[in-house]
Amino acid sequence: MFKNEEMEINMGPQHPSTHGVLRLKLKLDGEVVKHCRPVIGYLHRGVEKICENQTFFQGQVWTDRMDYTSAVANNLGWAEAVEKLFGISVPRRAKYIRTMLNEFNRVASHLVWLGTHAMDIGALTVFLYTFREREDILDIFEAFCGARLTTTAFRIGGLREDLPPGIEKQIRAFLAKFLDCLNEYETLLTENRIWKKRTIGTGLLNSADAIAMGVTGPVLRAAGVPFDVRKAFPYASYAEMDFEVPTRTEGDNYARYLVRLAEMRQSHRIIQQCLDGLPEGPVMAKIPRILRSEVNEVYHPTEAPKGELGYYLVGEKGSLNPYRFHVRGPGFINLQALPMMVKGGLVADCIATIGTLDVVLGEIDR
Amino acid sequence: MATDKDPIQEDRYVYDLKAAPNRQVTLPKTVPLPGLKTYLEEQAAAAAAEEAKWQKALADFETAKAKAEAEGKDAPKKPVRPVPKPDTNDLKFPAPAAATDPDLLHLQEVLGAKVEEIFQQAGELTCQVAKEAILEVLTLCRDDAALGYEMLADETATHYPAAKDFAFSVVYHLTSIRRSKRLRLRILVPEGFEPETAVPVYPTANWLEREIWDMLGIRFRNHPDMTRILCPEDWEAHALRKEYPTRGLGQRDIDFRQDRSGVLMRMAMEKAGNMGINLAPPRAE
Repeated sequence: MFKNEEMEINMGPQHPSTHGVLRLKLKLDGEVVKHCRPVIGYLHRGVEKICENQTFFQGQVWTDRMDYTSAVANNLGWAEAVEKLFGISVPRRAKYIRTMLNEFNRVASHLVWLGTHAMDIGALTVFLYTFREREDILDIFEAFCGARLTTTAFRIGGLREDLPPGIEKQIRAFLAKFLDCLNEYETLLTENRIWKKRTIGTGLLNSADAIAMGVTGPVLRAAGVPFDVRKAFPYASYAEMDFEVPTRTEGDNYARYLVRLAEMRQSHRIIQQCLDGLPEGPVMAKIPRILRSEVNEVYHPTEAPKGELGYYLVGEKGSLNPYRFHVRGPGFINLQALPMMVKGGLVADCIATIGTLDVVLGEIDR
Repeated sequence: MATDKDPIQEDRYVYDLKAAPNRQVTLPKTVPLPGLKTYLEEQAAAAAAEEAKWQKALADFETAKAKAEAEGKDAPKKPVRPVPKPDTNDLKFPAPAAATDPDLLHLQEVLGAKVEEIFQQAGELTCQVAKEAILEVLTLCRDDAALGYEMLADETATHYPAAKDFAFSVVYHLTSIRRSKRLRLRILVPEGFEPETAVPVYPTANWLEREIWDMLGIRFRNHPDMTRILCPEDWEAHALRKEYPTRGLGQRDIDFRQDRSGVLMRMAMEKAGNMGINLAPPRAE
């Protein structure tokens, strides 16, 4: 009468908690996940191929559309990778402004993550609070470059324009209230009994596995490895900033949640330092209007909100466009560890684990 | 708008690359493989060419002078060697330099003839090794106490159709978390060669190598799951090869703005039905 064989089901690609078009083939024994195989590629647009057929200046708009919650971080990686390929030195003021906007973007991305992740688990209220603060950050982006999501914020060699008048007041107003907002989210979640039951001890990943699977970003730091590209391989003006790399040792969903919240506090610190110590000077380097590359290859890693975002570029002599462009997306590599993390757990824990991996399929499928 | 071809009569649906001459791509003519040896050769060749040009200008001047003297005319102007204009841009091309980093020297010392080239460029270390030895080199990089590259950050490949004795370069970007260091390993692979998989050493390579197979068509030996990852399983070509066009392969070539009556759309749907694709909305059973 009762069947006891294993059951195969598809979670996604249209499942609301898979954040886009992620499809998981699950093999279940009752509620327990026996096997998990992610199937990706539903959002593949061939960004690498397109960028290889466009100039270095045109390529940047495609990076906006990869990880659409952190367009500024993608822009920064692209601009710096091209600058490294050509050997362009960027003015110090431009670097500071880039760093500041990148940290704003980290906060915005983490706020989207927090809201949607909490909503997946069932805490609907947090979403409304986090999107309120995210709106303020998007307003700052809008004031700076006119766009809210697909920003194309930077130019190769620096910035298109300096900070607009009045934005400093806007930023200071945000900084003044943001720490209180973080405390507000914490009152809703951190000691919440249901939240702790859903996240503590689920989605476990130890440090050895995390390193072997190449996992980076908050997921790696929650497993106890204090690796942050901003500290290990400083870029932009992170070498001049004073900040800490928050880590936890538990490696579960709750640890990842705490790490991301602590990261937002550190971002607040960095933004404050950038704004206070903003140097005077030009914001754009003197570069030729037409960039013709030489034979060179670079791999430029940056710490995007999700982890290490690396751009690999190969230049061809006299060419206007990159000969080869490859993106090392943090989500792509982190998602590979998902089967390891959900195996033996419940289906409901699978949702929580996808949430704390913070996958964005636009970047995974590219 | 009048066109000389009737879009309805003509077969506008192109799946076969060879049947679409307008979508043939121009293949690259050079092999932009970064390296110290090729860079120095190119620099020497460019300097020699410039010197030859100058010598020719001098010789021309001498003959013109002798001719003018013989004819009793004014002597021609002596040529001036052109001085390159100083570059005022904030731009300095990072030229490849000889390896001085202890990691690269250590690799060369341990591996000997298996190392084909080592150099540094733009602050990045590159070590090109023999394609058969890649698994051994990766294991060494991970386990050697002096190296200790625990993490594979990235693995990707580049297609070089203009190269003679290889078709692809496969690059491995290694990260040492403990020492905050990065290293690039490179192998050169001819068409059809299957390099050994890196999965036993770095499990990260699983999906990265699947992506390389999907996008460039390099198969890896002993890989646990050599299937496509981003494209569907029945996709025929490999998109990041240089002969693959940016348009073509299944793309509709119909201007729907001119398709008021929907004739072209209907034709496309019929054609798609022939291809085994169902574009029509599902009917209630």
